[in-house]
Amino acid sequence: MASDSSSGERQNLQGNVACALGAIAAGCRFYAGYPITPSSEIAEQMAARLPKVDGVFVQMEDEIASIGAILGASVGGVKSMTATSGPGFSLMQEGLGYASQAEIPCVIIDVMRGGPSTGMPTRPSQGDVMQARWGSHGDRPVIALAPASVGEVFEQMLRAFNLSETLRTPVVVLIDEAIAHLSETIDLSSSMPTPLASRKVATGDVAGFLPYAATDDGVPAMQCPGDGYRSHMTGLTHGEDGFPTQDPATVERVMRQLLGKLDRNMEQIECFETLECDDVDVLVVAYGITARAARRAVVSARERGLRAGLLRPITLWPFPERRFRELASSANTVLIPEMNAGQLCVELERLCPHPGPVVRLNRIDGECISPRQILEQIEKLHAHD
Amino acid sequence: MSASSRLSDRAIAPQATPTNVLVVGVGGQGVVMVSRVLAKLCERNGLDIKQSEVHGMAKRGGVVFSHVRFGERVYSPTIPEGEADIVLAMEWAEGLRWLPFLKRESGGLIADTQRIVPPFSCRNRKRGALHGYQTMGLEELEEVVARVVAVDATGVASEVGNRRAANTVLLGVLSSMLDFDPSEWREVVAEVVPPKTIEANLLGFERGREWALQETRAELPTPPEPERPTHAADRVELEIVEAWCKGCDICVKVCPERCLELNGSQVAVLRDPAACSGCRVCEWLCPDLAIHVRILPAQEEH
Amino acid sequence: MTDSDSSLPASFDIRDYLRTDLFPHFMCVGCGHGIALRCLLTAVHELGISKDELAVVSGIGCSGRIAAYIDANTLHVTHGRPLTFASGLKLARPDLTVVVVTGDGDCLSIGGNHLIHACRRNLDITCLMLNNEVYGMTGGQVSPTTDEGRYTTTTPLGNHEPSFDACSIATAAGASLVGREITFQAPALKNLIVEAISHPGFGFVEVISDCTEIYGRRNDLGSSTEMILSQKSGMRPESYGGALDQPFRPGNWQTGVLSRSDREEYAAAYRRRTRSARPEEQT
Repeated sequence: MASDSSSGERQNLQGNVACALGAIAAGCRFYAGYPITPSSEIAEQMAARLPKVDGVFVQMEDEIASIGAILGASVGGVKSMTATSGPGFSLMQEGLGYASQAEIPCVIIDVMRGGPSTGMPTRPSQGDVMQARWGSHGDRPVIALAPASVGEVFEQMLRAFNLSETLRTPVVVLIDEAIAHLSETIDLSSSMPTPLASRKVATGDVAGFLPYAATDDGVPAMQCPGDGYRSHMTGLTHGEDGFPTQDPATVERVMRQLLGKLDRNMEQIECFETLECDDVDVLVVAYGITARAARRAVVSARERGLRAGLLRPITLWPFPERRFRELASSANTVLIPEMNAGQLCVELERLCPHPGPVVRLNRIDGECISPRQILEQIEKLHAHD
Repeated sequence: MSASSRLSDRAIAPQATPTNVLVVGVGGQGVVMVSRVLAKLCERNGLDIKQSEVHGMAKRGGVVFSHVRFGERVYSPTIPEGEADIVLAMEWAEGLRWLPFLKRESGGLIADTQRIVPPFSCRNRKRGALHGYQTMGLEELEEVVARVVAVDATGVASEVGNRRAANTVLLGVLSSMLDFDPSEWREVVAEVVPPKTIEANLLGFERGREWALQETRAELPTPPEPERPTHAADRVELEIVEAWCKGCDICVKVCPERCLELNGSQVAVLRDPAACSGCRVCEWLCPDLAIHVRILPAQEEH
Repeated sequence: MTDSDSSLPASFDIRDYLRTDLFPHFMCVGCGHGIALRCLLTAVHELGISKDELAVVSGIGCSGRIAAYIDANTLHVTHGRPLTFASGLKLARPDLTVVVVTGDGDCLSIGGNHLIHACRRNLDITCLMLNNEVYGMTGGQVSPTTDEGRYTTTTPLGNHEPSFDACSIATAAGASLVGREITFQAPALKNLIVEAISHPGFGFVEVISDCTEIYGRRNDLGSSTEMILSQKSGMRPESYGGALDQPFRPGNWQTGVLSRSDREEYAAAYRRRTRSARPEEQT
């Protein structure tokens, strides 16, 4: 694998740089993007590094064009990505929907900043969690990853490409501005545990080839221009043959297959970390930069004899429902600190097995949630018991 | 190859009844120049002359003809059918087209053997189709025309160094059949042709005249062979996929042969397969891609 | 993998390039888009491009549906975006012949920004803009190329907006080959497409097409035949002089190749600029 990253060396890297290095290590050879704070370093890194690995970087006229270009490149058989922030992510929702419908692998980085609208371009936020889940119209399979450290950004880039390729679906990596602009010393060689995956390639007879034929894992094999299959790809709802259809039975069948492919492969998609979750009164659920504060708070709480635990989803969507239900059923309270007005908490309230209190801890002032804030909340919740 | 009739021994003298010379050819050959030479000769000899011409097709290739009538008194400017004493044809088929104008008993045809196929003779647009060019050969001609002089005027003119002097070669032939003084002919020719070409034209004139006056002419030029197509006609297959046709009527309207029509189900059908020339206009302009034209090369005959 | 030459028929039957099981196509009676489709495929055949090497990217609208009928690698993408997909595809796969089929609304309205930047980049892509002066698929709304005074469902009292001259825009934005042809002159259109595909750079071809059922009826433009014949009278096969001074369509159509330059193609320029960084070219 071609990579210019200095494998085996400990390096001090910014989150956005680790993101670019991870992408190239994952085999990404095409980047199209549009400058936007706080993601621009990713584009700058890719512009400098992709030519060295015989890849192509192109700065497009806007984010709509950027996602269009990476989908075109991916259809051509090249692992492709783009990076943006909230306003650009909004523009990309159209292309994301197309990628889901046509089942085109691609990776989209959303470096989250304060919103809505132009908001606070340089301040951290976790305000795009629900946009990642529901931003594009219609029902579609959604995968979003939320790394919490520079090293994890690198690792999750590898996972993002692997999931995208094996499941033929767009994968969103949600990085908050705090992680993106955080510098940490990481060991790239120890961050490369995952073998690289590539999309399943169509084989067999050209005649009668069905580009969206049902398979055991729900993921159809992908054709590549020039390999003789000459199939059709469309954003219209299509049958197994790839051509538009409105036949109810066919639509039901192919839509179930499309939406079901994540369930069938949940083992490789689901990814979370737990801390001190054996006997939990207060279950803290946190992701991204907030999870680092939550970890510190849980450790402090345990030191004070408070039974707090942490569930840190790394794959944010689909949410690790089963594990959450298990932990929540034994906990008295679920505490969910988020740098937004309350987004993931809505999902947790829905999932909670009993009408137990899901307590929100939100911050929307462009500042990170501190360990002390979370610890205070844990203490308060224990006092209520 | 057979010898043509001799004309020179019975030159036509100016009479009370006008002498009628019909000069025909295609644009660019000098039909009008020949008429002007005759006009000047008549002026010099105090004869009345009327001339009417059609040279609307001024560009090369169009049909041009000129009626020249001269005598002591001329009234009508045009030659009625069957009244021409001489048809001077600068192009073979043009000469044939005007045969009905010759006097049945005595009319003489002077014809260049070169052939220029005019556009209107290609009415049938099928590749390999026989075009409408006259196919009559010299022997057939001699059966219906009193006197025929077939001369390779263009070839003779080439020999004297200017292909375009073919018209003066023919004038030389004509001079042997009209009772004007040879020196006057030469003076008039020199007056009429462009100054730079006087020498070649006078030479051409002499060669034409000599050739016509020879007791026994050596080699007659090869008359044109009857026209044959270069290969058998292509076979055209026009297929209309009925299920694809939406009946927009474009093919019916644009077909130059008018051989398509819409049937009762508003589907285009080939009404007249024989008329279809395979021009593909309908195929190109069918919005439904329903028309498929195949041109099948004809089978070689064995 | 199949032999790439195997898909190139020796003698030309357009059905060898069509997905015939999808026919009859869905376009209306007399719609000019079918003629443009024939011209494109005839050009592809003439150039000896195999169907496996051909990628056709189309957007949304009547023009966008063209791609599905072509037996090649076809990509029917989102509204206005075919040039963006095509750019990525061509950069990733320079070996493919990439043709974009788009419409006046798709290309000039929602995709206008993509058009001018595609022209500016000058990637080796051919863009066929089928101009029927109306949004046909959505029922006949005014488009950026609708002539002034025309009636559409959203200009019930007649269009009060001036129309774009797409070719002037493409030329001004830097497309290295720009041409226009009417569908009535199908063989000439085919030749123009041959030229645009052969041209190493961004080739923009505006095809004057007809919307007979929706636009034609509402504006009383006559039958399919009358509409296509009227194209001829609107044609001005002249040089491009003066058109740049007049960004809106001057009321007649100059046809043929309207502008051409030998500007460096994008991928070539990219490779030249990044040569020193490339591993195989470092010594």
